[in-house]
Amino acid sequence: MNTPVGPTQPGAPDPNDVAAEYVLGVLDAATRRAEQERLLRDPMFSREVAEWEARLTPLIDEIVPVPVPHALWPRICAAAGIGPPLDRTAPDLRARPRPGMWQSAPFWRWLSAGAFAAVAASLFALFVLPQVAPPPPQVAPLVAKMVQDEGKALFLATVDVRRGIMVVQPTTVEIPQGRVPELWLIPPGDTPHSLGLLDPSRANAIVVPRELIAALAPRAVVAVTVEPPGGAPGGKPSGPIIAKGEISLL
Amino acid sequence: MAASSDIHPFDPDRLRDLLVATAGGDAGAFEQLYQSTSGKLFGICLRIVQQRSDAEDVLQDVYVTIWRKAAQFDAARASAITWLAMMARNKAIDRLRAGSVERHSAPIDLAEDLHDPNASTLALAETNETNRRLDACLGELEAQRRNLIRIAFFEGATYEELAARCGAPLGTVKSWVRRGLLRLKACLER
Repeated sequence: MNTPVGPTQPGAPDPNDVAAEYVLGVLDAATRRAEQERLLRDPMFSREVAEWEARLTPLIDEIVPVPVPHALWPRICAAAGIGPPLDRTAPDLRARPRPGMWQSAPFWRWLSAGAFAAVAASLFALFVLPQVAPPPPQVAPLVAKMVQDEGKALFLATVDVRRGIMVVQPTTVEIPQGRVPELWLIPPGDTPHSLGLLDPSRANAIVVPRELIAALAPRAVVAVTVEPPGGAPGGKPSGPIIAKGEISLL
Repeated sequence: MAASSDIHPFDPDRLRDLLVATAGGDAGAFEQLYQSTSGKLFGICLRIVQQRSDAEDVLQDVYVTIWRKAAQFDAARASAITWLAMMARNKAIDRLRAGSVERHSAPIDLAEDLHDPNASTLALAETNETNRRLDACLGELEAQRRNLIRIAFFEGATYEELAARCGAPLGTVKSWVRRGLLRLKACLER
């Protein structure tokens, strides 16, 4: 068991110790279970745990978001007893793309038919497919071809600036075992900003963070590095660049 | 704010509103909450359980629990992102402790400085006071204590695992972590 060490007041074991250890996640299975039971019946302990959770939450900032497989949302809806997502008409306050299109298997199969087809399909999807709202003003599409040093194109990106969506289509990409490709946006004169991890086996729809949308412009560079699982530590590229290219007008 | 594949995911008021609406059974709000936070929570789960299929199972459990128990979220007691992130961490750690997942554990070099003052380069402008304070207080700790605390937090490693990975006696590791946590708390409360 865990004997508190270094009480703040002499002779008084500091109960915060265990609350902190529980939140940090260092307790073994049996101790952790015991503390979880204590949480249910000890309001003071429960409050200390909540305080430690709040203290350590800022560390979450360092974790790079990882794209979630599209198949997961329908699984969650089924397990939660919510109607299938395509049957609902969820009012979308943010005017995001309809999940139906981005999650539709035929759409992705179609998109995967080939690199050229991918770009064409993306453009079609982004600019021609009817949206819930009236058609938006046309914005010139942006594209980027990310190439290896030898000039071979590894990823093709199509950017919809208005919605802040980048569709990234891999060609034939070899990723070293145990590594994952991560996408970066590098505005001119700026440091790389992560756009998340890529699935090298299929097209990826990347939702660009709002604060980076303005940086989606000609001359900005997009690049792919290979990183440890979960993404580059600390949100800065750590692995080699396997492909890069400049964004340009189509 | 760290790099994110989501649109402004951690606007605290928006997340709180979505969570409260979810508690009221609003499936549309739940879907928006999922769109805004699932990438981040998946990242949290993956750091702990490592295998994608395990992390997907955990994430599914997390969101089903959010849907069913959103009413337990108390905005007076925790921020929405704390509630969501800690639920993901807890479920991932529970899964890890259940012993059903395979994990690769790299040795820890305690001398190496894992603390990266520029970790939040991507969003310095948005890094708030709370984040800066935790960063500063972690920076005040001795390197080995700080490193152990960070690895434990991100990977959900037990004392035993930390001791094995850094090659230090269990008692020493416990003492480093506990003293580090006490110092951290004292610093944050200054």
